[in-house]
Amino acid sequence: MATPATIVASQPIAPEQASLWSDAWRKLRRNRLALAGAIYLTFVVAVALTALVYTPYPMAKVGVGIPYTGPSPEHLLGVDTIGRDVLSRLMVGAQVSLLVGVGTQLVVLAIGVPIGLGAGYFRGWFDQVMTFVINLFYGVPNLLVALILVFLLGPSLTNIIVAIASTGWMDMARLVRGQTLSLRERDFIEASRASGARPAKILFGHVLPNALGPIIVQATFGVPAAILFEAFMSFLGLGVPPPMPSWGSMAADGIVAIRIAAYMVVAPALALSLTLMAFNFVGDGLRDALDPRQRR
Amino acid sequence: MFTRGTLIYIGQRLVLITLAVLGVSSLVFVGVHRLPGDALFSEHLHGTQYELTLHHYGLDRPLWQQYVTFLWNMLHGDLGESLVNRGVPITPIVAREMSVSAEVGMVALIVTVGLGMSFGVIAALRQNTWIDYVLSTTSVIGYSMPNFVIATFLILVFGVWLENVTQGNFFYQIGWPGRYGSIGAIWLPAFALGFPSASIVARMTRASMLEILQQDFIRTARAKGLPTATITIRHALRNALIPVVTVLGPLAMAIITGGVVVENIFGIPGLGKEFATSILNRDYNVVIGVFTGYAALVGLTNLGVDLLYVVIDPRIRY
Repeated sequence: MATPATIVASQPIAPEQASLWSDAWRKLRRNRLALAGAIYLTFVVAVALTALVYTPYPMAKVGVGIPYTGPSPEHLLGVDTIGRDVLSRLMVGAQVSLLVGVGTQLVVLAIGVPIGLGAGYFRGWFDQVMTFVINLFYGVPNLLVALILVFLLGPSLTNIIVAIASTGWMDMARLVRGQTLSLRERDFIEASRASGARPAKILFGHVLPNALGPIIVQATFGVPAAILFEAFMSFLGLGVPPPMPSWGSMAADGIVAIRIAAYMVVAPALALSLTLMAFNFVGDGLRDALDPRQRR
Repeated sequence: MFTRGTLIYIGQRLVLITLAVLGVSSLVFVGVHRLPGDALFSEHLHGTQYELTLHHYGLDRPLWQQYVTFLWNMLHGDLGESLVNRGVPITPIVAREMSVSAEVGMVALIVTVGLGMSFGVIAALRQNTWIDYVLSTTSVIGYSMPNFVIATFLILVFGVWLENVTQGNFFYQIGWPGRYGSIGAIWLPAFALGFPSASIVARMTRASMLEILQQDFIRTARAKGLPTATITIRHALRNALIPVVTVLGPLAMAIITGGVVVENIFGIPGLGKEFATSILNRDYNVVIGVFTGYAALVGLTNLGVDLLYVVIDPRIRY
């Protein structure tokens, strides 16, 4: 049936098609808090990378300045209790925090995503066993489990990442399982199955890309949680072993001198809080941008 | 309110808690005995003296025999003897410290709910005014800040800065008088512990209050001429409470785990302080005792929160 051109032109023009990602990017750019958070995080990453090749003083060297002296042109953030440069240690501490935060989420993704995909897609005994294990892990407070693990494995960067990831994978697994459960009923999955695709192809080629939005949001919120955990453990003396600085252990070292040299604890505490806040803002922004339920 | 079914439920939960406590302590027991070095190692004991000390603690026997003895004693409420302070039984220490931690946690929970709900209600009633913005920003900062950072800043402000400003007349003195402290000593740690959780409560209360204030029955209440205070408290707040109640469990957990650090900062003689000290001393018997205490505390708190649901929401029955 031929349609006169005039009628076509008077039809309301359909909203411009935008893919999920370009739409999300547009929304994210408009979110000022998320943008500020992202800029700050870029700065933190830059500092951490700089610290690989340059710090004002060697971070572990004792006696580069007079202990307990506050900020000065030579030591921008002062000198700690045994004469180490606080700024240098803060810069290396950024590496530790980012490594723990991102490393933990990589482990969480590596464990949680396959388990969630498998449990959601195949159902059956695997799903039941995994749901049971997940609920088991939810039953115990995660910080205590992480502390027990680090205590038993011994404090090291890898062990901390393992310990935190082992208490955080359930959220990811549960999320991916839920997404898979709803996606597996969709027509395009059915079509793919009918055309003879193997489960691995369906799961990683079709289900995973469509569940990517919530996964990214979840991982973004997981990073600050992991950083917080690490700071917490370092504060208790179960974090990265010295002389490696961590913002948590720097705050713990500084708190004994809080009366006479508050800068020592304020510097790492501020760095930590700002980083956590930035991740939370970016996470909020990503959730608003990527969560289809909030789309108009 | 507490029917026979509820009592049976409590009984079942207590059995489960006991099993969980046994599980945790067994895990830590086995793990700890695989670690190199112990408290005795640092005392430089040699020869017969060392063997006698090992024998005193039963450490010269095979691990499985030690474990059986450990389990048997555990079931009788005996956690053994400290490796550092010889002859000091651990059970009464852990029990006392548990009660101190529970005390601080309880006050922190009251701070959490009280502060969080008032902030949330005020922010909702004054939506999109500067009060709302200040409170909302505060709560975003609150849940992004680790509680040891909050504790540190609180000490800086109320301990150090306030002392300087008032020339030492009025400030927070860090210290813990007696076994259970005093009101003057407990409010700051409770605030530090409760503040991050209070931020979450405030956000939830604000959101659910805003939603409920839009509903028809609130308009009806207003139309029939009820005073605003009555509408806010009796009609809106009561319904806004329900989502808050559902996060009480996780919040209580956050407060218990947060206590590990906050107790160390404020010098509160609770489980958290013992935890740090015993690990530093490599006093493994006490470490096992502390983890056992925590497992019990967590189990009992969860049970308490679940029973609280029955009190608050009559629809829930066990």
